[in-house]
Amino acid sequence: MDLKFKNSKITGILTILPKREVLFEDEMENYNFSIQKSLKLKSAMGYNKKRIVEEGTTSSDLCVFGINYLFENEILKKQDIDALILVTQTPDYIMPPTSNIIQGKLGLKHDMICLDINQGCAGYIIGLNQAFMLLEQESINKVILLNADVLSPKVSKKDRNSNPLIGDAASITIVEKSTEETKVFSNVKMNGEGAMALQIPAGGSRLPSSPETAIMKEDASGNFRSKDNLVMKGDAVFNFVQTEVPPMIDSLLNKSETNKDDVDYYMFHQPNKFMLNKLADKIGVSRERMPSNIVGKYGNSSGVSIPTTISDNIGNKALNNKYKLCLSGFGAGLTWASMIIDFGHLNFCEIIEY
Amino acid sequence: MENFLEQMAELFEVDSVNLNDEIISFDAWDSLTGLSIIALADDEYDISVSIDNILNSKTIGGLYELFNQK
Repeated sequence: MDLKFKNSKITGILTILPKREVLFEDEMENYNFSIQKSLKLKSAMGYNKKRIVEEGTTSSDLCVFGINYLFENEILKKQDIDALILVTQTPDYIMPPTSNIIQGKLGLKHDMICLDINQGCAGYIIGLNQAFMLLEQESINKVILLNADVLSPKVSKKDRNSNPLIGDAASITIVEKSTEETKVFSNVKMNGEGAMALQIPAGGSRLPSSPETAIMKEDASGNFRSKDNLVMKGDAVFNFVQTEVPPMIDSLLNKSETNKDDVDYYMFHQPNKFMLNKLADKIGVSRERMPSNIVGKYGNSSGVSIPTTISDNIGNKALNNKYKLCLSGFGAGLTWASMIIDFGHLNFCEIIEY
Repeated sequence: MENFLEQMAELFEVDSVNLNDEIISFDAWDSLTGLSIIALADDEYDISVSIDNILNSKTIGGLYELFNQK
């Protein structure tokens, strides 16, 4: 589905990463594979380091810390926040919404909208779309988009399929009305028939967590996980991404009358280097313009991976420069979404540690 | 066919392969090799295959048939 937005823009991005760093080698012995095979996996996928939270840290902790940083540095004023969108797959509670918890902890005004959205790897684009839609309202001038995923506690340490790549992070993106004439082009697609390709089987209403769902079992490839753990059908996800994403990007470039080479960076979700390189080749853009460094530097933090990629690869250069970006996220849902946006002259674009 | 056999030998990290060789008998066989086969099928044979499709084709010859079923 094509979407178009006018007269609003991103004015700042802050990425919050946990201080705790884990190396691929630190966990290699947990896997049921030879060292040689694990190192081959590391090199093919671009795994190396990842950031994960200390036990007990939740999505709202990272978000509140980041927003307070913006308050303390007088980059953001409390009373200016008209809406708070939180995109997460790891809410603090099933009930109430985590965005309301964050609003309460920060002491924000009551005359505002708080909204939780459950989306994964495409969650940055889904959140931006929602922010732009809210900004079409007269009474909304500034929206805070929060993306937070703390999935490391949900991954089995003995699952070579997921554990080496999953990292935790949060990001804050400020989206506001603009006096400049701006245009944003977006495209979203969903296929719920493939919903179980990326899932956590237990812990919801369908299968509540119990001692039984915590039992670790070995799968056909030698990975151990329980029903409380995240599980991913790697082959199905790979095929879905390679089949669906390139035509979506072509169509978006077409609709926005953008030349492939006029896009400065293709800031995509960061599943692994292997998949991103294949995507760049298939779309027909150089690998330099599609950064793939994040999974090996901080880990794949699902919906937070795109803002992390922007904060790391552009960072404070975004304060004085302008870029045309193509963003794309794809995964849990299955959801895949892309956006072409003029980006730059931000008030801030940086990474802080929690 | 010759090109296919060379590609398989490279993926399974051996000097040469035969059509009767069983996929799971190679030391290099694991889920990563499986993913490389899936990527090759997508890149060069324009076909989406799953790990199960690969395992069900059992041998190098079976893989050749899988890739060329279109």
